[in-house]
Amino acid sequence: MKKIVFILLIATLSLQAVYTEKVKMKSISFEIPVDKNTIVMQRNCQWCHSYGYILNQGKQSREFWHKIVLKMRNTYKAPISPRDELLATEYLYKHFGKEKN
Amino acid sequence: MRRRDFFKLSVVASSVVVTNSLNAYKTREPRDNQTISLESFPEKRPLIIHSDRPPLLETPRDAFTKAITPNDELFVRWHMPHIPTAINMETHYLQVHGEVNERLYLTVEMLKKEFKSHTITVAMQCGGNSRSAFVPTTSGIQWGSGAMGCSTYKGIKLKDILARAGLKADARWITLNGDDKAVMEKMPHFKRELKISEISDETIIAYEQNGEELPFLNGYPLRLIIPGFYSDSWVKMLSDIRVTKEYQKYYYMDTAYRVPDNADESETPEVHAKSTKPLEFMNVKSYIGYPTPNTKLYAKTKLTIKGIAFDEGSGIKELLISLDKGKTWVEATLGEELSKFAFRSFTYRMKPMNKGKLTIMAKAVNNKGEEQPFAHEIAWNHGGYKYNGIDSVTVSVV
Repeated sequence: MKKIVFILLIATLSLQAVYTEKVKMKSISFEIPVDKNTIVMQRNCQWCHSYGYILNQGKQSREFWHKIVLKMRNTYKAPISPRDELLATEYLYKHFGKEKN
Repeated sequence: MRRRDFFKLSVVASSVVVTNSLNAYKTREPRDNQTISLESFPEKRPLIIHSDRPPLLETPRDAFTKAITPNDELFVRWHMPHIPTAINMETHYLQVHGEVNERLYLTVEMLKKEFKSHTITVAMQCGGNSRSAFVPTTSGIQWGSGAMGCSTYKGIKLKDILARAGLKADARWITLNGDDKAVMEKMPHFKRELKISEISDETIIAYEQNGEELPFLNGYPLRLIIPGFYSDSWVKMLSDIRVTKEYQKYYYMDTAYRVPDNADESETPEVHAKSTKPLEFMNVKSYIGYPTPNTKLYAKTKLTIKGIAFDEGSGIKELLISLDKGKTWVEATLGEELSKFAFRSFTYRMKPMNKGKLTIMAKAVNNKGEEQPFAHEIAWNHGGYKYNGIDSVTVSVV
């Protein structure tokens, strides 16, 4: 009897699997340089996106990075404080910066 | 709004090249030879990974030798970090509401059983594909040229669903939304909007891609397919269609995914165009899948150049190959036309005779007579959209 219940249970479970798609998403770490302001990136950027988004942009001017930080706050509503706005820009320019656009 | 005189672009573009250092901008060949990750995502082989959250996966160049992109090779682009990873198909439904006579809740099973199915082979391309061509860097993901692919989709006509719901007399627009969600509550949803009178017969809601269920990362279980359009409007995990009387303003319609509304769709980094329009129909483009850059080939040995070409759906008329950096062109052999919206494969057989560097260029011409401009002739726009420069690959002949 137990065996039958077990078989029925298995059968039901596999039937369920037809209707439910369960996917395990991949997590990949994108390394960014570590300094005293890395924490600013941790607390502001990763809510919505991986560091891949930063690395993907290549080296850019200070003005470029500042505009990006403002866009994250104004358009995408990331709660970036005025202090973190400056620190994040500074961090991005220091590690992914170049003179001109 | 649909620009039919793309053929003239090369002339227009060359006249807008700005040499003033203050306004300097240019377009170049998009980035190439990006690293293929050792990691792979569900139902995907290892691809170029720009981000894992939201997932941004790009297809490498060597996939573009064939008209159909296998499901596990097709690129992935999501905007929102929260993507449901489990769906109960018994309770999951597509809702159709707003200015309709009958509000609909349709499960995938109902769509399959109660509506006539349609199958179509379609090229899909992100509006920002090849964005890395634009200098200075424009806003958005710096794609190489692999944010595109071509698949055979099976699904039901969007028009059939709207007909089932019954449109009220003053229904004019539909808003489409999927199940992916933002973290910040105030962040705009990825909603797209279509004018009902402009919905084509070929526009379908797909549940199959290349004979299989849609891959999770490509929008399982339902995705909107608009043949000829950039895939920004091809809403993934489609779950909501709202019919409205008036045009609704959405961030992803009215701010992002727009190009300058002028003859050559261009602007300068300093002065952006005041008038803009949404991205819609794709321009003519081609890409070489084989050989890939820096491949070593043997002199006096047969070589078959392979690639693909596509446009908005007028169809590819010819594909031209140049081996002298664009001075002279010869016709390649086109493969079967799977549909006027599909990738058209091409081959060109030759034998490189001289040792040294060899640059191969490919240029497509569509049935409207439009042809691809050179990379440097393409005018800049601040979103980095619609790059369709002539592709070139340089190999070593030894």
